[in-house]
Amino acid sequence: MAERSDVDVLEDLLALEGRLISAYEAALRREAIDVGLGETLRDHEREHARGIEDALRHAGRRSPRASVPSPELTAALRTPESFAGFALDLEAEAVASYIEAAAAIQNPRLRQPLGSIMACEAAHEVALREAVGERVLVD
Amino acid sequence: MAPSLTRREALGGAAAALIVASCGGGDPPPSTGPRPGSGAALLGSLLALEHAAVAAYAACGEVLRGDVLRNTRSIAQQEREHVTRLQGLIRDLGGEPPSGRSSEEYARTFPRLREPGDALAFAEDLEQRQVRGYLEALAELPDLALRNAAAEIGADEGAQLAAVRVLHGLPAAQGPFVTGAL
Repeated sequence: MAERSDVDVLEDLLALEGRLISAYEAALRREAIDVGLGETLRDHEREHARGIEDALRHAGRRSPRASVPSPELTAALRTPESFAGFALDLEAEAVASYIEAAAAIQNPRLRQPLGSIMACEAAHEVALREAVGERVLVD
Repeated sequence: MAPSLTRREALGGAAAALIVASCGGGDPPPSTGPRPGSGAALLGSLLALEHAAVAAYAACGEVLRGDVLRNTRSIAQQEREHVTRLQGLIRDLGGEPPSGRSSEEYARTFPRLREPGDALAFAEDLEQRQVRGYLEALAELPDLALRNAAAEIGADEGAQLAAVRVLHGLPAAQGPFVTGAL
């Protein structure tokens, strides 16, 4: 399999951050998440996106990708419980993506900051589990 | 006016001393087997910290009760799994993993934990240092598979840090970047 360039890796992460931001914005509009938690998570994802955009500017970014709202998100916005499940899946995908990116990215100076976002996304999972009354840590 | 330490700062300082004591010259080097630059020495330092964390959670368990105790026991179990994984990685590199110290030796380096808040503040400082350790390792480990392992364990530590904060009545995430920033 061909090795992915740093730009490819960062663009994928930026697209993922875009999905997270859209999800929390929609959940806040539809009152499908506690306001304080939703704003915190949305703001964190915006900071992550800003950081990745900065890194992309240095790495030689190509054209921005278009994104479309997912039908799963629309369905998940019906209740806070269904949104929490959707958001937990998305955050788990984010953690897995950042694990892979932080290890594989060729520029060693980006590994630690990407790991820092990875740890934050892992904390988001804990926050969402707490919000729905689940055990904070999964065995 | 002389600077004063808050209780939390004092506990954090104790955690820092623990880390230094756990990772410094007191522990035997991982081995003379692996080639220089293989990452075995760095993994050995992370393993020493994991050993200390297992002992620290046992100490915390003395003052914790109920749901908080159950959750911190789960964290301690994850730390033991990290110990096993790191030991395997070091052996794969031809090294001999450093063993932990006795519980008495660790206890001498721990702060006095008088109440649940002390234990959770100590645990939070410890988890922060573990997260930082794994993130720093990402920049230094030479091999993709080793970096992948460090990232996976680092993500676990990030979740543990958040869990400890929630158990302490704090927000799960302190900010958008757990340590450092892009």
